[in-house]
Amino acid sequence: MVDLNPKMLEDIPVTSYSDNSTVLIKTGAWKYVQPSYDDKLPACSHQCPAGNDISKALDLLARGEIAAAARLWRAGNPFPASLGRVCPHPCEDQCNRKELGGAIAIHMMERFLGDRSLEPGFLPEPKPATGKKVAVIGGGPAGVAAAYNLALAGHEVEVFDDKPAAGGYLRTGIPDYRLPKDVLDRELALVEKTGVRFSVNTRVGRDVDFDELRARFDAVIVTVGFHGSRPLGVPGEEHEDVYNGVHLLERILAGERPTLPKRMAVVGGGNTAMDVARSLLRIGVEPIVVYRRSRMEMPAIPTEVDEAIAEGIRFELLTAPSRVVIGNGKITALECRKMRLGEPDESGRRRPIPVEGSEFAIPVGGVVTAIGETAELDFLPEETRDGWRIAADDRFATPAEGVFAAGDAAFGEGTVTAAVGEGRRVAMVVDAFLAGQELPAAAPPTQAAWERPVNIDQTVHVEQLNPAYFTAVPRPEISELDPATRRTSFDEVVRGFDEEEAIREARRCMVCGTCNECCNCLFFCPDVAIHKRSGAFGFDIDGDHCKGCGICVEECPRDALSLVEVKS
Amino acid sequence: MRMVIKGNGAVAHAVRLARPQVISAYPITPQTSIIEGIASMVAEGKIDAKFIKVESEHSALAGCIAAESAGARTFTATSAQGLALMHEVIHWAAGARLPIVLANVNRAMAPGWSIWTDQTDSLSQRDTGWMQVYCQSAQEVVDSVIQAYKVSEKVLMPTMVILDAFFLSHTYEDVEVPEPELVDGFLPPLDLPQKMDLEHPAALGNLVFPDRYMEFRRKMDLAHQVALGVWDEVGREWGELTGRPYGLVEQYRMDDAELVLVTAATTASTARVVIDALRDEGVAAGLLRLRVFRPFPSGLIRTILAGRKQVVILDRNCSFGHHGIFHQEIKSALYELSAGRQPEVHGMIVGLGGRDVKPEDIRGMLMGVWEGRITEPVTWWNVLDAESAETGAVAMG
Repeated sequence: MVDLNPKMLEDIPVTSYSDNSTVLIKTGAWKYVQPSYDDKLPACSHQCPAGNDISKALDLLARGEIAAAARLWRAGNPFPASLGRVCPHPCEDQCNRKELGGAIAIHMMERFLGDRSLEPGFLPEPKPATGKKVAVIGGGPAGVAAAYNLALAGHEVEVFDDKPAAGGYLRTGIPDYRLPKDVLDRELALVEKTGVRFSVNTRVGRDVDFDELRARFDAVIVTVGFHGSRPLGVPGEEHEDVYNGVHLLERILAGERPTLPKRMAVVGGGNTAMDVARSLLRIGVEPIVVYRRSRMEMPAIPTEVDEAIAEGIRFELLTAPSRVVIGNGKITALECRKMRLGEPDESGRRRPIPVEGSEFAIPVGGVVTAIGETAELDFLPEETRDGWRIAADDRFATPAEGVFAAGDAAFGEGTVTAAVGEGRRVAMVVDAFLAGQELPAAAPPTQAAWERPVNIDQTVHVEQLNPAYFTAVPRPEISELDPATRRTSFDEVVRGFDEEEAIREARRCMVCGTCNECCNCLFFCPDVAIHKRSGAFGFDIDGDHCKGCGICVEECPRDALSLVEVKS
Repeated sequence: MRMVIKGNGAVAHAVRLARPQVISAYPITPQTSIIEGIASMVAEGKIDAKFIKVESEHSALAGCIAAESAGARTFTATSAQGLALMHEVIHWAAGARLPIVLANVNRAMAPGWSIWTDQTDSLSQRDTGWMQVYCQSAQEVVDSVIQAYKVSEKVLMPTMVILDAFFLSHTYEDVEVPEPELVDGFLPPLDLPQKMDLEHPAALGNLVFPDRYMEFRRKMDLAHQVALGVWDEVGREWGELTGRPYGLVEQYRMDDAELVLVTAATTASTARVVIDALRDEGVAAGLLRLRVFRPFPSGLIRTILAGRKQVVILDRNCSFGHHGIFHQEIKSALYELSAGRQPEVHGMIVGLGGRDVKPEDIRGMLMGVWEGRITEPVTWWNVLDAESAETGAVAMG
């Protein structure tokens, strides 16, 4: 103890110290800025069309809290197991780990968490029933995502689909070697558990009238997608061995093994072309991909192209069909012209220009067209159509009261992931509509639906991270069936992560923009003004003693704190 | 064990023998090889210490302050701008009574940018409460670093051990490096009377009101007074153990000297050659080398210089607007002498920014004073002036 009444110099300690508390000294009065816990969007989630809360889920996974992570991922996304397999994962292109050992294998994390949550126990608790009814036309990813979220919001939802089973393009357009159908079936079964009713084999406009749906339901969401196919526009394409790629793929995926010519040209460079070519290969046909631009302009997911090349599929690039050559009633060849690339067109890709006199024949017995799809919208009233698209605005609303739209037929984004995101967003809009609220000027971003508060106006890029805390750790190898084996089977090509691999990879995640209770703020606070909440996530800042020095903000490895001005 | 090492290597070996627990340092020419040597020794397990790499000298000393407050023996080293950057916490270390040992390689302050020797950096820290020892050889560096820990830990004041840039820091010498057992017997482990204690939380360096502040400062000054005796005693004890005794100052051919040269650090070695030559020529010249500058041995210096005819003081520094700092200090020590015992005192400002101080320079100063050709109280030695140069300005290299 300090002697408070020293009589001699010896009674005074060698240097000043105080065993009294300094809590009395309210250093907080000095501040003109103060720190605030401020989760921001990590670059990955910013890029995620489906709106997955990647950083939070990976943090949970890194701690071994697999169930909590899986539950979070499935909270607004009914298809993590499917998307983990088919999404082109733009998140990984933006991952801040890119230069620090390689992007986190986020799609593998999604697949792992999706596979770990295929039981009803992982579904969110639905809100109390509202008594409102919603019809969803089209059981593809957009429609199911909308239905799932609206059912969880307490509404009664019925999905109408003209196919024998829901799933849309996930079922009819994606081969089993990418997405085994039992995974899709189990995810759809979970959606059914939330109360969504699926009316399959029901085509609106044929089996049920659109106006009748509008009368029976409080809101209608149109999510019919693209299922028609564009014509090639060359002589000879009416021959019976010229197939529509979407329809042919649908038949093969449904288990049909039609009798086909031994060698077929697959015209197109998108995902449908890749899926058709790789599926033909697996049923014993030799496909030749014919694409009018170069590899760089191909709209297909690059890894799908890589895998097709690895499987030995031949590509004729900078080549466009000019005529289907028929002899004795049979196709003998596809006559093509070589192309060269000119100036970029409105899509930003370089325009193909035919090279005069470059005609040559590719000997084939059949042709498959996969050059783009269109929607079939005849059932919709005129006012809700805009050419070959649904006339939907930024709020996902059509000019018809109570009719909303999402997915490819509305916005043409062209990926399952974007469709799921649009489904989540239209659900928020319709939920507000059903509650009688005024609609926002634009549908809120998917992240607005997250349970945890996050500052969606700010994205954390690598520049916002504190480099002192991160070192390069290499990305793991992702193992695939070897090309020779997979050419002859529809077995899944990519092997998923086991628990140990998934947790190890999650630990590589820098959890950008997201507080993970690393406690650096608490350790560095010179005023002992940061306190860990007991029994709850996060920290409290003691405003009486925080003097606004900003060290906690500076030392936060992941930019999950911000300094804000104190208004006097 | 005899080794051929540089002054900087001598520091590193002495630090190894003193067994510090925390070393916190930032590199700066010409100090760098000190901490490189220590870092290697820590990496090789020759020193069982935590080596903290920091981003600045301020943090380097702050790291030592924190560790020493918790009761750990610490070390840091720096030079010139680095020492200046430490200044705020230099005061703190002394006021907190932490017996930290710091090696400072004397280097001129910028601008103009210079890496060569000059005493202005360490003398600018004169009034902070740190003890200062100026060394003349690598052997003295080894011996002084070890002694510095012992004295500092006895009186609870930090010490700067100071060596000239390059002339000492980078010059190889034959050095006797003591065995660890010898040093362990001489220097017991640190046991601070007041340190951080998890069982008894306290705020260190807290607010002190005017009714108490002076008492803490009085204690610092008393500690320096005690330290004069401790340096003397520890220097003697070291001599008994190693055969190399040290005092607060060193006297050379001083018994009957009438003309006395006062200097510090490596210039003293050069000066000895000149003193010997002058003695051969019949001039009663002697050398007084300053070693411990803080605490300042006023009484001892007064006694030594009383009754001498002439005193020439070399300053490798200048307090602008007054004169050399050693000159001021010695004059103030002589003030109490009676008029008849006061020597005639001349200050020489020499060798700034590493300029050579050659035997002929020292001879010129001493004989100039002895023969009455130099009469001014202060001379800037061998510097361009209005008469010796066309412009009067010092040319840039």
